Amino acid sequence: MAIYKRLYRPYVGRYTGNRFRFLVITKSALRTLFDSRPLLAFFVACNVPFTIFLMIIYINNSAAAQALLQMKNAPIVIDNFFFLRYLIFQSTLSFLLTAWVGPGLVSIDLSNDALPLYLARPLTRTEYLLGKFGVIFLMTSVITWVPGLMLLGLESSLAPIGWFERYYWLFGSMLVGSLLWIGVIGLLSLTLSAWVKWRIVATGAMLGIFFALAGFGEALNGVLRTHWGYLLNLGFDISLAWFDLFRMAPHTGLDNPLFELPPWAGWLTLGLLSAFCLLMLNKKLKAREVVR
Amino acid sequence: MSTARPDWQKRFVQLRAVVTIELRRYFFTRQALAIYLLALAPVVIIGLHAITSPLGRHCNIAEDTEILAGIVQLFYVHLGIFFGCLILFTWLFRGEIVQRSLHYYLLAPMKRDIIVLGKFIAGAVTTSLIFCTAVLLSFIFMYGHFGPKGEQFVFDGPGLHHLGAYLLITVLACFGYGAVFLAISLIFRNPMVPGAFVFGWESISGVLPATLQKFSITFYLKNLAPVDLSGKGLLSLFTVVAQPVPAYIAIPGLFLFVGFMLFFACWRMRTMQISYAKD
Repeated sequence: MAIYKRLYRPYVGRYTGNRFRFLVITKSALRTLFDSRPLLAFFVACNVPFTIFLMIIYINNSAAAQALLQMKNAPIVIDNFFFLRYLIFQSTLSFLLTAWVGPGLVSIDLSNDALPLYLARPLTRTEYLLGKFGVIFLMTSVITWVPGLMLLGLESSLAPIGWFERYYWLFGSMLVGSLLWIGVIGLLSLTLSAWVKWRIVATGAMLGIFFALAGFGEALNGVLRTHWGYLLNLGFDISLAWFDLFRMAPHTGLDNPLFELPPWAGWLTLGLLSAFCLLMLNKKLKAREVVR
Repeated sequence: MSTARPDWQKRFVQLRAVVTIELRRYFFTRQALAIYLLALAPVVIIGLHAITSPLGRHCNIAEDTEILAGIVQLFYVHLGIFFGCLILFTWLFRGEIVQRSLHYYLLAPMKRDIIVLGKFIAGAVTTSLIFCTAVLLSFIFMYGHFGPKGEQFVFDGPGLHHLGAYLLITVLACFGYGAVFLAISLIFRNPMVPGAFVFGWESISGVLPATLQKFSITFYLKNLAPVDLSGKGLLSLFTVVAQPVPAYIAIPGLFLFVGFMLFFACWRMRTMQISYAKD
């Protein structure tokens, strides 16, 4: 068809409501991501620990299953530490998933100068960011707090009377602990994605920030004879917050550096990191950039 | 009348040209900034320690020797050099593909092996120089602030031997990790995922069975370390003590491994096809 015959035709499909317009970005990004079979396989594999924990809870509370497996008593104690271990497992997997997915979310738009195309539509910068963050939020939620709450629900329904009264607060701990982790790694990966043009480098930077900073913190502790270097280890910071949320008490036996620092230090570090990430994202995500 | 240069001489000139071009690029790039940060971060804290504890007021040589050994063997070898090499060596070819400039090299009338070797040598020299400087500065700051006692330890005691061993470990780590990441970058489109696998493998190599430990770079480097750090930390509970390898086997063994990796990279490069749109 000749170009002069192409007339303007407005969109005739159904409009997404103003409030949830950012979900269009999420939906489209998720569709592209799940075209990758290795990612899909990894995503499915991320739920294997959930199945194992589910079986443990069932066997622990079922006399018939214990008899079938020739067990005399419930094999393990299901308490706050059990669910904390579940969260640690799943969060490690969600970190790997975010390191895989996150760095490619914004960088592809920035390196192809596509951001103005998004922002020329009825979408604000916040909504664009929410749309991209939604991808990480949905993918990691499915492997962290959603199955976590299901496990808690199962344990509450199967455990003897009194368990729920004693541990009802774990529902809140699981939800807040997971959301905190998702928020921090999501913001960090989006910031790296926005500031580092190439996905490969952004993935490397994400791994580097987690592991090299932790190592540097250890070196700092050794040389300056302090414990505050642990705060450079993001895994340690989140563990401080989780130990606080899951009301963990100091264990006897092995030295646990988690009890050498106050929990507020972990919360503060995570808060500062998130604020820094938001600041950097605000600086970078602009519809146009003046090149001098 | 012009006489044609012998083949080896021509290749040497080409290799030198590639190394010179690449060296100029690696020392002053954004990627290099991350490597400088990784290398110099411990130097800064050791410098701070030297300032806050003049003449070893709050520390002693034995304790600081162990801390320096920990920094070199755990921070530099496991993290600093590892990530430094991951950044630089995966970028040697993958970066050129991302920036769509690799075809300039491939169009040049020279063997692809020369390109691989030239890039590898330039990368290894860059990382070795940066990290050796950092280790040297760390050593100077660590013992310098003890004054005469530190001087005695370095020149009349085992200090110089320690320094030599640390520098050797640093160079070998740069070559070893560099060769692995160069090979990986020629196989995988996103070399970070296998890079993470290598990181996991190298981190847990101490708790693997003795035979499997020999398939890690840290195993050979550990044998060259002047201060034994095994038996420290939680992982030491699960550590499997493998038969130590003497230096005269560890060093040529590691170079043999580097040679094998480079041979593989050259072979891979010979049949490589670039499709910028796909990559």
